[in-house]
Parts: sequence; structure tokens; C-alpha cells
Amino acid sequence: MIELAHVTKRFDDAVAVDDISLHIAKGKFCALVGTSGCGKSTTLRMINRLIEHSEGDILLDGQPIAAYDPVKLRRRIGYVIQHTGLFPHWTVARNIGLVPRLLKWSAAEVQAKVDELMGLLGLPKDEFAHKYPHQLSGGQAQRVGVARALAADPDILLMDEPFGALDPITREKLQDELARLQAKMHKTVVFVTHDMDEALRLADHLVVMREGRIVQQGTPLALLQHPQDSFVESLLGGLERGLKQAALTRVKDHMAPMGPTLPAQSRIPATFSLRQGLSMMLRDHTDRLTVVDQHDVPVGELTLRKIVKEAQPEQGKARES
Amino acid sequence: MALLDALPSPQMAWRQWRPNSVLVVLLSVMLVALWLFDVVSVSPNRIVSGQGAGLVEAMGWLGALLVSGVTITLMLLSLQPGRQNYQVALVGVCLLLLLMPFGLIVASDRLVSSDMPQARLNMGMAYWLMLSLLLLCWIELRLRLALPRRWTVLMLLGVALVWWLCAMWALEALALGQEFRARNDEFWRALRQHITLVSVSVAISIGLGLSLAMLMRRYANFQKVAFGVLNFLQTIPSIALFGLMLGPLAWLAAQWPLLSRLGVSGIGWAPALLALVAYSLLPMVRNTYIALEQVSPETLEAARGMGMRNSQRFWQVRLPLALPVLLEGIRITSVQAIGLTAVAALIGAGGLGAFIFQGLGQAAMDMVLLGALPILILALIADAGLGALSDILRPKNTVRPGDAQ
Amino acid sequence: MSHDALSRSLTARGVQQAKWPAIWLVLLMACVWGFPYADGLLRIIEPDSSQVVYQRASLATLLVQHMLVVSAAAVITVVGGVLAAIVVTREWGRNFLPLVSQVASLGQTFPPVAVLALAVPALGFGTLPIIVALVLYGTLPIVRNTLGGLQDVDKEVKSASVAMGMTSWQTLRQVELPLAAPVILAGIRTSITINISTAAIGATVGASNLGDPIIAGIVNGNMAYIVQGALTIALLALTVDSLFERLQERLRSRLYTA
Repeated sequence: MIELAHVTKRFDDAVAVDDISLHIAKGKFCALVGTSGCGKSTTLRMINRLIEHSEGDILLDGQPIAAYDPVKLRRRIGYVIQHTGLFPHWTVARNIGLVPRLLKWSAAEVQAKVDELMGLLGLPKDEFAHKYPHQLSGGQAQRVGVARALAADPDILLMDEPFGALDPITREKLQDELARLQAKMHKTVVFVTHDMDEALRLADHLVVMREGRIVQQGTPLALLQHPQDSFVESLLGGLERGLKQAALTRVKDHMAPMGPTLPAQSRIPATFSLRQGLSMMLRDHTDRLTVVDQHDVPVGELTLRKIVKEAQPEQGKARES
Repeated sequence: MALLDALPSPQMAWRQWRPNSVLVVLLSVMLVALWLFDVVSVSPNRIVSGQGAGLVEAMGWLGALLVSGVTITLMLLSLQPGRQNYQVALVGVCLLLLLMPFGLIVASDRLVSSDMPQARLNMGMAYWLMLSLLLLCWIELRLRLALPRRWTVLMLLGVALVWWLCAMWALEALALGQEFRARNDEFWRALRQHITLVSVSVAISIGLGLSLAMLMRRYANFQKVAFGVLNFLQTIPSIALFGLMLGPLAWLAAQWPLLSRLGVSGIGWAPALLALVAYSLLPMVRNTYIALEQVSPETLEAARGMGMRNSQRFWQVRLPLALPVLLEGIRITSVQAIGLTAVAALIGAGGLGAFIFQGLGQAAMDMVLLGALPILILALIADAGLGALSDILRPKNTVRPGDAQ
Repeated sequence: MSHDALSRSLTARGVQQAKWPAIWLVLLMACVWGFPYADGLLRIIEPDSSQVVYQRASLATLLVQHMLVVSAAAVITVVGGVLAAIVVTREWGRNFLPLVSQVASLGQTFPPVAVLALAVPALGFGTLPIIVALVLYGTLPIVRNTLGGLQDVDKEVKSASVAMGMTSWQTLRQVELPLAAPVILAGIRTSITINISTAAIGATVGASNLGDPIIAGIVNGNMAYIVQGALTIALLALTVDSLFERLQERLRSRLYTA
């Protein structure tokens, strides 16, 4: 779907992006992570030709992006930025309908699409349609920003630190909603952030960048298990890495069948994360939890011994062989 | 093949080549103007209109080619912009500016015969265009090179000095110079009057403006009314305001002989001063008010937290921090007053405007220039000087606020 | 905050009383048509002169001439100034931006009288030099404000419009110009109100307009003449100024309220 091959970007003499190669499959959520100035935003902006790359190839659907007309290309790619970039002189509804109108949809089609998106993003039409951006809270404005990016049903969605300016609670809520939307719509998403937790939470594919180069890429779990160097490791949270990995694992993947002993007092739903399980053990001063299904029926048990032993299965395997 | 691959692609090469189109345009216009329009004109006396002369006629082929050559060299330099080329171009522009009065000397030598003592040499359309375009080039180069202010002031002073010396010693025939020599005493008196009127009115409006702004900060109602009145005053055309001062002041002078003995009358400096102050108040009060209000509340809060009294807070914190914006107000007011004082000449207040209106009345354009050019220069000097002053004050105040104490 | 409070109090007049343009206009008309019949009133100001009503031309004619000169200059300045500012803020004209913005701010220091006086030697007496001087002088605030307005448009908003796939023309028309409009309008307002009063000085270079009675009054020491000219110009300036104030209010409320 999106293919970057040996892409380099120079601004005058400074190299912003240095020979990066990246493949993002259709429907995947790819997060570019790194400290500020590492070239992640530049990489993103090269995909919709806001910045022209200097060397290498960028292919969309197998076609080099130079072959597309930049204006038409951008209308086919959704784009969300940190400070929303909503047009302050337009109402929410008009802002959302921007790209469909640029594509010359009929007024009725635009209206229908705007209504649909406002419903999808939890913006009640009667309340918000005629508001102006300066009348919205940060979270509401960013919902409008996402709706605007989705309006023309683009296959690709580029997001440049979309939740960076929001307070932690709003941010988490919007992350959840983005995950929910993505599960429904399967867009190909490229997501830039410096918040590793956000990236771990949302991404299928994680790309760590530093000084214009890709340091490491892979699934979140793979990176957590084998950080390439101390930079990646510190970005992944250093000592907290174990807990972050636990947060990505479900309880049911580590659960043992019910043993011969009495079931433990504390119960945990099977869909919770391992991290929540560990936290519960600490809270309840126990090394055993009873795992229950959605009807609160015990289906297995979670023990500290087993978790610790299985924490790094691949490494364990490597040692065995 | 391998070598060819190493070459930059032609498209890339084209992108790298970015000529400075500004200089190219300015210089081309200048070149065309020089060859197309009259450079100078010669009139047998003050009243008769002149006979125009083109570039070759005025300067000879040698001079014409020299000027064109330097201009074309400058154009070539600006095709390949870069710090070094800009520096060379700046020297070239200054050279042309320095050569311009010598061009006049050459022209007067060639065109003004010694048997016509009354003959006058006037600068023509092309000459004025060349001067203004060169100044634009100079500004452009200054901006590109990001030269500091004092350098540029020094350079312009040097150029002005050469011009002045040429005009004084070698250019008897130049009309502007003749006009000046004929009115030497009158000119200096007018300049003095002009500057006095401006400085007195600005001084009064600083005092008044400061007090008004303080009152406005205390009484919100007063603020609304005062801004309303001052706005209203500003919409009355200057010429009308000067005229309207005539009657009341004449009446006052008639009522109180003491006033008339002090020189107050319907015409002259008194109505001019009043009108000038009335006009100066709005920009002055507005800037003073904004200056005092824009000091950050946190800083003032901190000052209070440190145990400063109200008066200490005002004199040691608020006022020093407000000073740059306050100076900006003084700058705007002064520049505006310099222009308005020219109009005051209409009601007999003297000043450089008198030359303008007399000159217009007599259709003597050199006299108009004698009034207008110094006014323009005065305004520019006031603008640059006060601008520099607030520049000097600004970093000290904003970088380390503590120093202001 | 203080800027806001200030601008609010400065415009409070216009917001609360939308009728000002009409009031000034009525007063202006009253002046123009009323002065010829106000012999008795004017005689109070100037009891000694034999003639108190300005009769060399009717005030109405002078008013029309005054407005024609100012409007001619205004059309040229608005079109030229806005276009120039747009050109130098586009990618292909950006080379000229530093020079133009420097000249626009430097040009503010040129006194209008000096500009007018310098235009006369080049263009001779009459209406043309006035129009040229007004154009020269009036273009600068418009260029400066248009530049300021266009440059103040939020970078994020501009970059969003490009990223959404708007062409540069669409960005200019639908985003940059509407957002810069209040600032541009403020520049036009400054330019035109200054020009209304500067045009009066044109009477000294032989144009016939509302400056005529003032000059005649100053020359003959006739206060009544001055009052007729001055009051009419002042009312004209106030009418136009308050009209612009209304327009600005309208624009601002259209831009930012539901």
C-alpha cells in the first residue's frame, strides 16, 4: 500500500530524513515514534507531498507519488494535525465537508456524509453543526479534525501527533475511539507521535526513528522483547518495559487450567491485560488470581510463577535450543 | 555513463539557480529609464521651463557607457546571489550613489555655457528614478545581508556628505542649490521653527498623554469618553483643524491683551501648536495606555509579593517595562507632527512648509523641493533615531527584567 | 487582554450605536445644502466681512469633486495594494517580500504634504498630481495591512488547507483572504480617511474640492469660509469612517459568530 524505498530528504545541506525504507500494508496502523526533530513528521509529510523527497522512491498502490497530481493525491489522503488546523471562519459542518466539496460531491451527498461522521465521532449534530472552532474544547476540535480527514473516505490516513496537545484523560478517550474506528474501518494509518504509550497502544507496526534514520521497526511486542539498543530501550520505558509488555498481553494467553487447589479469592476477567493482573496481585497480596469469563464463571487461573516464566517466551525458547 | 550519473540532473540544476529577481527588475527599470527619459534639463532662468537632455547628451558616450556598464555588472552579480556577490553589489550601488552628483557636475559642464549666469540645471525624471531605484536596491541589499543599523547609517551619512560637498562647491548651476543659496538665512530659520514647533508639541503631548493615560487607567468611564473625543479629533482633516483654530485664538487674544503680548494671535505659532497637540494626543495616549496595560500581570504580582509599594511598582517595574512601547508612541507622534507642521505654514506658523506653499503659489518647483525634501529627511531621521532608541531599550528590558530596576 | 479591552472600548461607539453613519450623513447633507441659507448664522462668526457664504462654487459640487478624487485614488490603491501584497506573499513573488514590506512601513513616515509637493514638479498642477499623491500615500497602509493580515493567518490552517487538497487559488480565496479581511479592511479604512483630509491640501495645488473654502478663508482671513469647508470635510470623513466601522463590525460578526 505505502512503500518507502531508500528515501532521503535534504533541506539545503541538512539531512532531515536519511535513507529510510518502510513498507506499510493495506489496513495496517503504523506509528512513527522518536524524539522531536528525528524526521518523523517530515517522513509523514512526504507521503502526501507537502514536502517533496530528495532521493529514493515513495510508492502508493505501486505507483510513484510523483506520478500523482499533488492536489488530487491530497484529496485522497486524510490528514490530521496536532492543532487541528480547522478553518476558524467556517462552522464545524462546513469544515467537515471540505474535501467532499472540493471533490464536487452534490450538496445532499456532502450533508449526508457530514451527518454520518458527526454521529460516528460523537458530535451531536444539533449541538455542534453550527458551532465555530473557537467555541469547541480541544478534544471536540480534534474530533472535528478527524471527521474532516475521514470525510472523503480516504484509504490512507496520516496523523501528525493528533492528540499531542490534549490533556491525558481526553487523550486516552480519543485513543480508545480511534482504536474503535480503526477496528471498524481498516484504513491504512500512518501515525506520528513522541508518546510511546500511545504508539504501543494503537499500532500494529512500530517504527522508531532517530536523527533521520530508522533505528528499529516491528510489532510493538517484538520491539519490547528485543529492543535493538539502549536508545530504543529507554524510549520504550527502560525498567518499565516489562510492565508495558504486560499491558499488551491478555490474561487469557497466560492462564493455566484450574488446578487441584482451591480457587483464589481475587478474580480477573480473561480479557484484561496481564499488567492489570499483576497490579491486582500487588494490591491483594497474592500470587494467584482466578480468571473468569464474561459471565463471572471461573475458566482458569493466573499465577505469578507462570507469568514470570513465560514473560519472555522467545528468549526462553532461544535458550532451550 | 558512471560519470554522467554523478552529475546533478538538469532539473536539480535549474532549481539551484535562483537569481535575485528583485535586483534584476529594479536595475533593468533603471537602465531603461536612463536611456529613455531626460536625465537633466537646463532652463535659462528660474521661471522658464527647461530643455531636457538625455543620457548621452548630458554625460557623453563615455559617461553613459560607464553608468550602463556598472548597472549591467550589478545585474550580472544579482543573477548569482550569495553573500559575497551581495557585498560587491552593495559597494557598486554605493559607488553609483556617490557618482551621481559628479554626473551632475559633468552635465553642467557640458550643457550650461558660462555666458548664461542665470541658467539652472534641473534633475530630470530619469535622475530622480535612478536615485529612488538605487535607494530601493540599497534597502534590498541591506535586508539580504542583514546589516546592522549603525553600518547603514554610517554609509548613508557618507553618501550624503559627498552629495553635500558637491552641491556646495562644484554645482553652481544646480537649481536646488541656487534656490538654497538665495534663501540661506530663511532656510535655517524655517528649519529651526519647524523643529521647535515639532519638539514643543511632542513634549506637551508626552506630558498630557501620560497624564491622560494614567487617568484612563483609574476611571474606566473617562477612558471611553476620552478615546471617543480623540478619535473624533483625528478624523478632522489637518488643514481644517488649523483653520478652525484661527477664530477662537484671535478672539482670545482680543479679550486678554496679555496673551497677545505673549504672541498669541489668530495666526502664527499659537493655533498651530494647539492643533498639533490635538492631533498628537491620540497616538500618544493610545500607545501610552497600551504600554502601561501590556506589562504582564505576573510580573506586577511578583513585585507586590516582594513587598514593593504602589509607587515603587509603578516607577521601578511598570514604567521601565512599558518604555519601548511608549517610545514607539513618541516615534509615531513625532513623525506625524513633522508632516503636519508643514501644513501649519498655511496659517502663518512658518516652518519648512512655507517654502512648499510659496513655491506652489509662484510655480517655482525648486522652492517646493527646498521645503519638501528636508521635511522628508527630517521625518526619516526622527523615525530611524527614535526607532534605534527603542531598540536599545528593548533587549535590556525584555531579556533581563531585573536590570530595569 | 488589554489590547482586546482597548479595541473594544475604541469600537464601542460603533457597536452600540449602529446609526452613526446615518447621523453623520444627515449632518453632512444639512451642511452642504444649509450653508448657503445660513447667512445670519455665519455672520455671528465673521461679523466684519461683507461676504460670509462661500460662493465661488457650490459646496455640493465641491463635495462631489472631492469624493470623485478620493474614490478614484481609492479604487487604484485598493486594487493595486491588495494585489501587490498577494503577489509578494505567493511562492513565486516571495523574492520581493522583504523589500515591499520594508518600503510599506518606511513609506508611512513620508508626510502626505511632502508627497503631494513632490508630485507637483513631476506632474504639474491640477487634479492628476493629487490623485497620484493620494495613490502613492494611500497604497502603503493597504499593502502593509494586507501583508500583515495574510501573514497572520495561522500557519497550521494554511498547511491544513494545502494538505486537504485545496489548490493555491482555493486556499487564497477561501481561507487566506476571508481570514485576513478584517485587517485588510482596517488598512483600507485608514487609507481612505487619511486621503479625504489629504485631498483638501490639494486645493493648494489647484484642484478644486472642499479644501477651496478653507484656503480661501485662510488667505482672506474669513473664518466663515473656513468653517464651511472644515465642517463639511470633517463630516465627510466621519461619515466614511463610521461606515467602515460598521462594515468591520459586520465582517467580524460574520466571521466569528454562529
